[in-house]
Amino acid sequence: MAHPRFVAPTLVDAVRGLGDDRSRGFVFVRADGSERLVSFHDIAAEAERRAGHLAARGLRKGDRLAMVIPEGEEFVLSFLGALFAGVVPVPIFPQLSFKNVEGYHDTVAHIVRASGATMLLTSASTRPYVEPVLRREDTLRALATVDELSGASRPADVRVTPDDLAFLQFTSGSTSRPKGVVVSHRNLAANAEAFMIHGLDRDPAVDKGVSWLPLFHDMGLIGFVVGPLFTNVPCVFLPTASFVRAPRLWLDKIHEHRGTITYAPNFAYALVAKRLKDRDVEGLDLSCLRVAGCGAEPIQARALRDFAERLAPARFDARAFLPSYGMAEATLAITFVPLRDGLKTDVNEAGSELVDCGRPFPEHELAIIDEAGHRLGERQVGQIVARGPSVTAGYFQEPELTAQTYRRLGGQTDGDPWLHTGDLGYLAGGRLFVCGRVKDIVIVRGRNYYPSDIEWAVSELPGVRRGNVVAFGVPVEGEEQLVVCCEGTSADATAIREATAACVASRFGLSVHEVAVVGLASLPRTSSGKPQRRKTRELYLARALSRVRDGDAKKAGDIEGGAPTEGPAA
Amino acid sequence: MTAQATMTAENGARATRSDLLTMFRKTASEVVEKDFHHVEESTVISELAIDSLGMLEIIGSLERQLRIQIPDESLTGLTTIRDLLDVVEQRQD
Repeated sequence: MAHPRFVAPTLVDAVRGLGDDRSRGFVFVRADGSERLVSFHDIAAEAERRAGHLAARGLRKGDRLAMVIPEGEEFVLSFLGALFAGVVPVPIFPQLSFKNVEGYHDTVAHIVRASGATMLLTSASTRPYVEPVLRREDTLRALATVDELSGASRPADVRVTPDDLAFLQFTSGSTSRPKGVVVSHRNLAANAEAFMIHGLDRDPAVDKGVSWLPLFHDMGLIGFVVGPLFTNVPCVFLPTASFVRAPRLWLDKIHEHRGTITYAPNFAYALVAKRLKDRDVEGLDLSCLRVAGCGAEPIQARALRDFAERLAPARFDARAFLPSYGMAEATLAITFVPLRDGLKTDVNEAGSELVDCGRPFPEHELAIIDEAGHRLGERQVGQIVARGPSVTAGYFQEPELTAQTYRRLGGQTDGDPWLHTGDLGYLAGGRLFVCGRVKDIVIVRGRNYYPSDIEWAVSELPGVRRGNVVAFGVPVEGEEQLVVCCEGTSADATAIREATAACVASRFGLSVHEVAVVGLASLPRTSSGKPQRRKTRELYLARALSRVRDGDAKKAGDIEGGAPTEGPAA
Repeated sequence: MTAQATMTAENGARATRSDLLTMFRKTASEVVEKDFHHVEESTVISELAIDSLGMLEIIGSLERQLRIQIPDESLTGLTTIRDLLDVVEQRQD
């Protein structure tokens, strides 16, 4: 296996290597707006100290430590403390406001059980919300808060090697229960080298990262804590909730700290474009920003263009856009577009504009395969598979799931298995374009249709708002048929149904089984506000999707309560 | 929102309970682009079909209008609009 050439072999070595630097480090912005610099020296010393405390509490190398710590500074220092002790941290997202508490306890209990964590580390503010889990899980022996780890400690004295498990990244699968990706120090080093050095050509003397991304997800944790520590880049962290409440804060911090690198999912660029007013942009100077990365969810060209337009008066350079592709199973990133390429797109045969997500990093491979596992050619759509030193070994204590996801291609008899991403895409000129999820594909009479193509086309119709359309296939008398659900008002319902059916017929040559018009904001959504295709489909099949009343009562009778029977088609 | 409620907020003076409800309705309608003028104090937040990001956006806007700060911890476990307005009212004190 390839060894990293430009970074330390483990994150522990990397952090210790920064231990003499008392002037640079990580700046944590708190919810009240105050800032605190924790120098690289202090980070290394504090990690060493917390490691000693964890060891003193009986945690041994390889033991799992669940962590629910919303405060960025405490999270980072505790995460590193665990690594220094050879203990495997298991980051868990904190309770979201307004969500039901029982559901949250179930998720935490599941992750604790699946990881076999023996201790849960939390903060004083969060303790009441996780305490009930202690009584539910027998393996979980203790709950501690970070302030209980204060004071001097004896060094943990543990040797950490590249093949050691560094941490478990639980992925929030939209359909299945969360599963823990096993990320080794070798994976971390390989990916950090790939994106920070080969991808971003980072310069420790100049670069500064700015991030509001949650630290319990791969993009925030690997992208802004692990990568920068391996490659000596200072960063500024602000709370996720502060960004959502006031999106301008993200840009203010880039401006104030002269940030050069930031990263966000598509929705955040759209949010900024939508919320910022002219007066918010006044006085901002974003000319320092050389990389505005985008990943973690399908990238829509329009969101990035709207952002660039909105921020042009602040001297934002659109060539900073850096679309990418990756996933927790590959540590973080698999492909990046080259620096300064900016946003490039391709129009597929259905007329959808897809964003160029770049090419794989050195020593990493990407291929597109058909259902039989054979490689496809240029511009042929199939499942995206990847391998290389950033690709992890699988899911923690899930041998079957691991074997399904990490396997050899058709006809391959030796060599490393390939990570089967479950995403559909194609390669054109060596660049990756992502089309959607394998499981979401709609196959009608042997032809493949991608829900996102249909959703984008329908989104352009009058009365239908962008991002409020979901398309999926349902079985009807043994055949798969297309259903489109749109949010709309009852006044527009008839027009929306007719226009949607006509649009799908003309653009895709496909007749819609049913166009269901549902109330505004009533489609099930993810935490980032995207309609959930599979959940909507489940509701539809369970006849639990409530449609708006129609202006024309007779027509409404045709579809109400309607699951797979005959519906209006083009 | 009434003109008076707007002025109250902008002058930094304490908004009344009914100002706050009016302000919530208007802000939610603007942020989520859906009509929330029917919302009452007894309305259950989870039944509004506003996702957690949307709720945080609304709260951010209320914070700016009222020049207050609401800590994240006080947002956990809120059930009704009454609970939310209680928190907002406390922060005004």
